[in-house]
Amino acid sequence: MLTPQTSPPASRSGVVIARPDPREPRAAQWRLWLASARNSLPAIGLLGPATVFFTVLFAIPVALMIRYSFLTQSPDGTITGGLTGAHYARLVNVDLYRHVLFATLRISLFTTLGTAILAYPLAILIARGPAFLGRLLTVLVIAPLLVNVVVRAYGWRVILANGKSGVLNWALAKLGLGSVHLLYTEWAIIIGSVQVFLPMMVLPLSTAIGRIDRAVEDAARTLGASAFEVFRRVTLPLSVPGLGVGCTLVFSLTASSFILPSLLGGDFTKMLGTLVEEQILSVFDWPFGSAIATVMVVIVLAVNIGASAFFERRTRTRAMEAS
Amino acid sequence: MRRKGIKGETIVLYGSGGLIVAFLLLPLVLPFVLSVSDTPFVVFPPKGFTLQWYAKVLADPDFTGSFSFSVVLSLCAAFGAVVLGVPTAVGLVRLRFRGRKLVQALVLSPLIFPTLVTGIALLRLFLSLGSSNAFTNLIIGHVLVTTPFVVRTVSASLLLVDPGLEEAARTLGATRFVAFWRVTRPQIVGGLVAGALFAFVTSFDNYAISMWLFDAGHVPLPMMMTSLISRMFDPGIAAIAALMILFSLVMVILLERLAGLRRVLSV
Repeated sequence: MLTPQTSPPASRSGVVIARPDPREPRAAQWRLWLASARNSLPAIGLLGPATVFFTVLFAIPVALMIRYSFLTQSPDGTITGGLTGAHYARLVNVDLYRHVLFATLRISLFTTLGTAILAYPLAILIARGPAFLGRLLTVLVIAPLLVNVVVRAYGWRVILANGKSGVLNWALAKLGLGSVHLLYTEWAIIIGSVQVFLPMMVLPLSTAIGRIDRAVEDAARTLGASAFEVFRRVTLPLSVPGLGVGCTLVFSLTASSFILPSLLGGDFTKMLGTLVEEQILSVFDWPFGSAIATVMVVIVLAVNIGASAFFERRTRTRAMEAS
Repeated sequence: MRRKGIKGETIVLYGSGGLIVAFLLLPLVLPFVLSVSDTPFVVFPPKGFTLQWYAKVLADPDFTGSFSFSVVLSLCAAFGAVVLGVPTAVGLVRLRFRGRKLVQALVLSPLIFPTLVTGIALLRLFLSLGSSNAFTNLIIGHVLVTTPFVVRTVSASLLLVDPGLEEAARTLGATRFVAFWRVTRPQIVGGLVAGALFAFVTSFDNYAISMWLFDAGHVPLPMMMTSLISRMFDPGIAAIAALMILFSLVMVILLERLAGLRRVLSV
């Protein structure tokens, strides 16, 4: 630490260094502070309201909810202090709840795989097909996004309805095939979720494919690769950044969805979203409900962080291999 | 390009693309088909043709009341999102200060944070504060989840504006505000309209926030639809779904015309 006492004599080696006025640093500090305050006025004016709004109504409530998940609630509804991890243990140890947790992860995984498989043909057509087709497909892919999820879930309820009333079973009967039992199973939620979240996969994927240099694909073709090989060895690896974004989005959205499991899974197939709604709005078990909600946040954050780390490293190694 | 007529792989690509689009649109076309059935229950395939279910639904106060409530709520939310979001976007794009990244992360985090959990946290807060006015609570919740969209679209258009133009105006004697209003504002109006429209649509479709905050006197349309699904078995429910799809179609056309769909979604 340099303090005035330890500083060398001002006029050594003949150079005269003006000794600062002892009052000067204070005044300078004030001037600096005033200047910075004046400079930060626009920042406070422009960003102050949103910062306060999002802190008070988002960051703090979320923190309070997470704290709630460690508290204990007595049967009469009063909350007592003393931190406990019992609610998290309950989610993992009680068969019923653990089943819901695994079902959520399973459904999210299958939905992500399903959307990835269905998204590629559309993304390739959007990025590489004729311009008018690309525009048309983009609108057709985005339009369903703006239709209420409840409406889309209703459509799937009618299509997948069990027995003779379902559209799918009607079609299967016409074709002379047997009937299927899908509504209120995990498959119904997966089918509905794939349709609802497919746009979230197609859009980043088509952007990524559009960025691939056509010359690379043409080169592979010239060298004798079949269309499938071009896709497997050129388009697929180079579209990984878009795939990563899409997978993250779809997995996160499926894992934290409520309306699809509620209308397509009913009472028979539950996910974390339906479980948390039941715990908070019907059982009024706030600490357990908060714990489930916190687990949902952890899943979503883990997927986001994990995917960005994984896909970034992959992209980097690819780039290094290429160079 | 080689010319060998239509290749097998092209057929596979277009064929699968067509099937996937059909899969995507199937649940959106079906309600129209079901809604015209002249039967007391929803049946497939529909029998006969009638528009009586549309007449019945449009005269149903449950549906019309929820619809108008949702419109009012979404207008309030979009207005709040613009008031809160535009200055935020301007500050985040134009100013450089310590903590900028933090403010940006805070304001945009509701986009990746599970909305369902945001709703739970808000309900917990409102219960603790004793704030039982469902309308106010709903507006706050909807502004919270729609503001990030406005921040995103307005930031995107601000980044395209040349700050030199505004500096030129100031050199010529305009005050900071006048320079912004007459030079920069006209250039970001597109982003603002896109953000506001998208905020309206997101709020109108929102379920994950509303489900925690609504009460019997303030029922947004998605909640009303869910409750009708479990107690309405005539084709009226399909007519409601069809009307909601038509409404979304109007929004899609508006968004595409005024702002461009891809730009709104920032993809």
